[in-house]
Amino acid sequence: MKNGVNAPRLLGYGIGGGLVVTGLAGLVVDARLTDPLGWALWFGGLVVAHDGVLVPFVLLTGVAVGRLREPAPVRAGLIVAAVLSFLALPMVTGFGRRADNPSLLPLDYGRNLLVVLGLIALVTAFATIAVRLRAGRRRG
Amino acid sequence: MARGSVMRERIETLARGVPGRFGSALHSERVAARLGLWLGISFTAAFVTGLFSHFTQHPPGRLAWPSRPVGLYRVTQGIHVIGGLATIPLLFAKLWTVYPKLWQWPPFRSFSHAVERALVLVLVGASLFQLITGLLNVSYVYLWPFSFPAAHYWTAYLLYGALVIHVVNEWAKVRRWLWTREEVEPRETVTARRRFLGTVAAASGLTVLFTVGETYAPLSGLALLAPRDPRVGPQGLPVNRSAAAAGVTAMIHDPGYRLTVTGAVGTPLSLTYADLLRLPQHTVRLPIACVEGWSAEAEWSGVRLRDLAAMAGVAPDAVLTVESLERGGGYRSSEVRAPHWGDPLTLLALRVGGEPLAPDHGFPVRLIAPNRPGALQTKWVSKVVAA
Repeated sequence: MKNGVNAPRLLGYGIGGGLVVTGLAGLVVDARLTDPLGWALWFGGLVVAHDGVLVPFVLLTGVAVGRLREPAPVRAGLIVAAVLSFLALPMVTGFGRRADNPSLLPLDYGRNLLVVLGLIALVTAFATIAVRLRAGRRRG
Repeated sequence: MARGSVMRERIETLARGVPGRFGSALHSERVAARLGLWLGISFTAAFVTGLFSHFTQHPPGRLAWPSRPVGLYRVTQGIHVIGGLATIPLLFAKLWTVYPKLWQWPPFRSFSHAVERALVLVLVGASLFQLITGLLNVSYVYLWPFSFPAAHYWTAYLLYGALVIHVVNEWAKVRRWLWTREEVEPRETVTARRRFLGTVAAASGLTVLFTVGETYAPLSGLALLAPRDPRVGPQGLPVNRSAAAAGVTAMIHDPGYRLTVTGAVGTPLSLTYADLLRLPQHTVRLPIACVEGWSAEAEWSGVRLRDLAAMAGVAPDAVLTVESLERGGGYRSSEVRAPHWGDPLTLLALRVGGEPLAPDHGFPVRLIAPNRPGALQTKWVSKVVAA
């Protein structure tokens, strides 16, 4: 929409627009299954939760971490730990467990997440020590 | 009036100042371009494998998909689900990188700018929707009023369409930042960027490492955060729908059980469990490959579906519908088209690992076929109808 109009650009808009219209039409036509109101609440709710809650929280955490003496390893460790916790959270809560089917969510996800977070903490600690030693040597 | 305009001016100054407050040099076009490229590749893989999965389950018209390679569906669905989980950190990183642009002032410079931003909203919303409801769905947390497959299917078109338009709009930036090196950057900027991208890649890689074992058996010991363990379940195999949940517990042990082959046949068949055991038995090694991404291989024995079709005199291009004892539900029956029922690996299985099927695995008889979603490997089979 900025750099003038040419054939590949128009083709791209055509394909993209066609897919968007297909998706919207499908959501409406298939309303019995897609429940457009419930769909829209999830769609909008996720955007609001992400932009209004998650990112501001991450930014504030980032400011706090930035005040540390060696922020880089902690920053990396926190990013990886947060992503894996996010991934594990639905399993840790165990909402999906069913009495008739013990093969669903068969593991102790709380313990497993702690193991993973422990490993990340360990690597972060080693990296912090390594960075400090290197900085100390440069200074000394 | 005067006070109002002063107030508005203050708010405007404040709003204009917001993007400038994001201090990190990582909120840059170069980082966004790199993450955008990665996301473009993963969303393309998800869209293609997702459509493949959809059309194996809902084949248009008389179209039939091949029964080989045996493990194709297992691989494509593994890419879809495990790849989708690995996309979550990429998306979060990308949205963090471009977050200052959310607060750009003025919000809309022109009509076309407003349209562009609306389509970005569609792209962001659809991406979050697909990845997060996808994660919840494979964790069996169904907190929504819609049917997940229907919503996921149509939202995929929305996402990919908005993505194509976004790529067209941003392509010049991708080329500029990823394929040309003009200006000299300070070393700290380069280090910080590599560190950030490396961290995001590590988060993606660890996501794969801790989940892929639910479909790739050699790594099953590392699948600490996977919703399934391919070794756990009755007879060492996971189950999706138990006999109790399907409401067939009483029916499957009925001594009057018969497997019937009817419809467009020369000779209708009606066979008891003992009759089936007396027919030539074959043993095959095939995976159950679930649409949720996990898969598990097992040794199945039973009667070849094509032998039964031959006994009943079914036309070679017939479509067989395999029906379960279940009274209802979306997976009560499944269609088996010619390439699949003609395949010697396709069985009506009576045994798994040498033992009669456990009730949860479809006792007395279940369908097992190569290159086919688990949801279509119908259990508790009592009827085959030819058309």
